[in-house]
Amino acid sequence: MKLNRTIKPAPSKDLNFVMPSVESFELDNKLKVYFIKKDTLPIVRLNIIINAGNKFDPENKKGLSNLLSMCIDEGAGEFDALQLSEQFDLIGAQFSVYSNSDTLQLIVQTLTENFGRAIELLSMILIDPHLHKNDFEREKRKIITRLKQLQDEPEFLANAALQKYLLGSNNPYSYPTIGKIDNITKITDEDVVSFYNSTVKPGNTFMVVAGAISTEELKDNLSRNFNNWSNTEFRLNISIGTNKDLRKVYVINKKDSVQTEIRVGHHTSGRGSKDYFNKQILNTILGGQFTSRINLNLREKHGYTYGAGSSFNYYKESAYFSVSTSVGIENTANALKEIMFELERIREGVTPEELDFAKDSIIRKFPLNFETYRQVASNFIGKVIFDLPDDYFDTYIDNIKAVILEGVNEAAVKYIKPDVVSIILVGDKDKLKKQLSTDGFGDVIFTELEL
Amino acid sequence: MNILNLQYEKYKLANGLEVILHQNKSLPLVAVNVWYKVGSACEVEGKTGIAHLFEHMMFQGSENVPKEMHFRNIQEAGGTLNGSTSVDRTNFFEKLPANYLELALWLESDRMGFFLPALTQEKLDNQKDVVKNERLERYDNQPYGLAWELILTNLYPKGHPYSWATIGFLNDITGYTLDDVKSFFKKYYAPNNASLVIAGDFDSDEVKLLIEKYFSGIPHADNSVQKDVHLFKLKENKILTHRDNVQLERLYLAFPTVKVFDEHDASLDVLSDLLAGSKNSRLYKSLVFEKEIAQDVSAFQFSGRFGGHFNIIATAKPGNSLDDLKSEIFKELDLIANKGVNENELVRSKNGIKSGFVFSLQNLEHLADQMNAYNFYINEPNSFAFDLNRYNSVTDSSIVDAVESYLKDPFVELRIIPASNSK
Repeated sequence: MKLNRTIKPAPSKDLNFVMPSVESFELDNKLKVYFIKKDTLPIVRLNIIINAGNKFDPENKKGLSNLLSMCIDEGAGEFDALQLSEQFDLIGAQFSVYSNSDTLQLIVQTLTENFGRAIELLSMILIDPHLHKNDFEREKRKIITRLKQLQDEPEFLANAALQKYLLGSNNPYSYPTIGKIDNITKITDEDVVSFYNSTVKPGNTFMVVAGAISTEELKDNLSRNFNNWSNTEFRLNISIGTNKDLRKVYVINKKDSVQTEIRVGHHTSGRGSKDYFNKQILNTILGGQFTSRINLNLREKHGYTYGAGSSFNYYKESAYFSVSTSVGIENTANALKEIMFELERIREGVTPEELDFAKDSIIRKFPLNFETYRQVASNFIGKVIFDLPDDYFDTYIDNIKAVILEGVNEAAVKYIKPDVVSIILVGDKDKLKKQLSTDGFGDVIFTELEL
Repeated sequence: MNILNLQYEKYKLANGLEVILHQNKSLPLVAVNVWYKVGSACEVEGKTGIAHLFEHMMFQGSENVPKEMHFRNIQEAGGTLNGSTSVDRTNFFEKLPANYLELALWLESDRMGFFLPALTQEKLDNQKDVVKNERLERYDNQPYGLAWELILTNLYPKGHPYSWATIGFLNDITGYTLDDVKSFFKKYYAPNNASLVIAGDFDSDEVKLLIEKYFSGIPHADNSVQKDVHLFKLKENKILTHRDNVQLERLYLAFPTVKVFDEHDASLDVLSDLLAGSKNSRLYKSLVFEKEIAQDVSAFQFSGRFGGHFNIIATAKPGNSLDDLKSEIFKELDLIANKGVNENELVRSKNGIKSGFVFSLQNLEHLADQMNAYNFYINEPNSFAFDLNRYNSVTDSSIVDAVESYLKDPFVELRIIPASNSK
């Protein structure tokens, strides 16, 4: 019998996906631990999340949190910087530490057989880092050179410019984690020590562990290594200023560039908004996937770009919507026109087919989000950072199912605001000038971005 | 280690398609991974980049799957998908909820067997534009983005299959016609030039019937293309300087070495780790940590079917010269050649590699792709333990031998320096 290839195969029987369950407990010093047992492979991944991101950098010390993240593993306990790194290498464990806007994170991924040693080393770094002046000075010089290098990178420049102009100078999220050059040069090793002392405390930290280990063994290891980490008082305050969304075009000059890096964005409601799921479906239709409207238009229809998309970006205390792409410089105005067209068009509503597609896609993809140890840990970290309900993942699919056409269409009108977007163009200003003069994208400001 | 011993079944359909099945029921997921034995090494001068452009065309629909519907169908099923092109092969892959396996087989078989009827000039023109933009974004507009193209064209002898970058030259990309694309498909995209790995949660008997159902009707093609390429040495050092829109000077050293899985290939991998893989690695420690003359340093052995090269890359901190970097690098290579490496260094690298093997099994898609790679290069999909053992067998003397054999010979040196006074 000849196969009729026109028939798209239907799915076989329903899946049985069991959401990994999470256990939580507190150590004596109030350090909160979330544990997801996962024993598909002999791996343990442990994340330590400290409420000490760069949003807490004091005025004129922008870059302090990042400096702490660079210095904290440069020697601890009985080991200097090189010895400490060697200890991780000897057990084949991967250790990393970084800051982002909200948090400072230390991560170790190890074979279960070496978990005990990995935890010992990690606790040294967290509780007893040297933070020596000579290590600090070296890391600071590294960052200063890195900032110089970042002037070359169009994507970094575009993201930094969007944060700066969209969020405004009175918002602590408005500058990149690496900080500002004129601030960094003035930061001292004492600043780093004092930032460490005021933030790295058990009560300001939580831990997420995903791995092939028993609860008893985990608790045993953690209390042995972390219980005498003292929980003294600390105080952290930030204030988030507001910046009014205004339609403006910022051209960040990058001489001789052959492409324009484009960002288009405005503020949006926070992660805890009751419209979160409506917005998620909305963005899936607009720009969250390969087959979303923006990519199909700019890439598959017009060939302006290798890829284009949009997202709602959430910090703990701030949020914005943005469209991102990069295009051949001669197509900048054309691409911008199509982006604005899609932002206007989505406000006219989405189709029932688009809605079903987005919902099906998200619902069915759910098990794929829990495959690797990293994915499992990251998902739970997000849940804790944003104070999501305990049953967030258990009710996730029902929440997506409950989204209806009217909800998405209302969200489109409410949360997509082409009239007040900040437009960032990183490219050669001489090539961009002419293209921008004829089209009404808004007031154009030509500038250089000081990092 | 037991977990590195993966059970599988391997067989061939009558039309020559190789099938490899690996069951793993830890999650209700399935990965489908197809390798076509064609990469940029199959191209010729003046016609570069077509293997990669063709990878794009494979997502443009086939007789029963309209444009965009390949992506749309997989995403609607909650799956992820993509493809990639290297020097030796082109791969296409999906990861889906296990109950959508048949959908992926339908889509993969339709483009394997019924691609040509859906090919149009409009689709080709569109994807040529997309690929041109990909080249701009990933090469031309990236700081140091043209380095690899410059190295490959200067390192490999004229006409060598690795003497151009996989993305291809812009002029070649813009010149492709529908006929070029058609004949490329006919020559390389046939079941007897492909292998299909399915890994994950499935029933073996059912999946065999499905594979038979969707793939057995696709005719095989006469496509025996044999290339015999020999290793080579440079006659003398080649020193190139390229100006770019960058702030910092960067040095690239590239030495001709060996093919993948040859003797010395693993030793060169371990050497790269000893040189630049961690804070205590020799070059990082010396150039970045202690002397602070470099901002970063990296090293790696690239190897494929037809050749390989070993690379050392270092970016100078402001005020330091590439000559200083270069002399420190060669000092360290000489030291290894003369004094060898110590046991502690080897243990660190080997333990990192061992963990890396276990970590790499977490992702079903990666696992399926690796089985296809092992099958392609050494005809044995279950080669994880064998491969790890290659690294465990590296010794002080095998590393010294590799340095003596390859890193003392002429090389290509590329210096990328800031275009004068540009901002």
